[in-house]
Amino acid sequence: MGAIYLPSQYGLLLIPLAAVQVKPGDKLRVTCQYSHLGKAENQTLYAAIGNSGWAGFDEVLHASKTISVPEDASWSYREDYVDIAITTAISAGFYDIYAKIGGTIPKVISPALMDVVEVLAEIPESQFGEMSITGYAKV
Amino acid sequence: MVKYADIIEIVAPGEAQAGSRVDITMKVKNIYFSPIGIMAGGALEYGVSPWPGISFAEPSANVNGGETHSFSGYFIMPDKKVTIHAYSYCYGADGSWHFDDEMTRAVNLADEVESQFGSIEIVSYVRR
Repeated sequence: MGAIYLPSQYGLLLIPLAAVQVKPGDKLRVTCQYSHLGKAENQTLYAAIGNSGWAGFDEVLHASKTISVPEDASWSYREDYVDIAITTAISAGFYDIYAKIGGTIPKVISPALMDVVEVLAEIPESQFGEMSITGYAKV
Repeated sequence: MVKYADIIEIVAPGEAQAGSRVDITMKVKNIYFSPIGIMAGGALEYGVSPWPGISFAEPSANVNGGETHSFSGYFIMPDKKVTIHAYSYCYGADGSWHFDDEMTRAVNLADEVESQFGSIEIVSYVRR
């Protein structure tokens, strides 16, 4: 299960984050809140599933979409989401997620949420292995 | 011509962004010894003809001798610098409004703020 540390008057406060279970064929909707000031513009909202480490974020699956951000005369908070398709490219296990706005050089990057996505193993197709008669009686 | 009122101030921002509402206050003092009717008017000079007008919520008022009245108005900032022309008129014994005083004030066009993002955080993640 993931968790996030928040500063509080008692020191760091550990807020546990529930993990969401997904499997291939599902989509993970990542909703983000961001702050904006200035002219209207179109930008890319991007989110990824992977593993966050000391060297950065190792992405396994990602998705993006273009968002239209209206003009904001003062700092304003807005929300939008991006759906990440869960494919067989990701193996079972716990993963981290993060989001960003912008292209190659991001405008802003979110903190990574650790171990909040649990990818379940793909359930195999229906198949029959062997068969034997286990009884025979007059009815 | 006898002057009955003085426009003593136009309160307005020094600059405004194109398309934004600009609120102004026009302060007019009755310099006559008795109450008179004063009407505020205004127009914007920025290269178009005729000059667009300024809207005043209550354009006229009876003002006692020696007192100052504030008239509130507004306009939408065009895409270039404007000069506010404020006018005052006095109500005459002939039942007509007579031009009395004029003052001008410039409002510069403010640069648009470039788009910038301050922060982003993931607020939810759900299976669809």
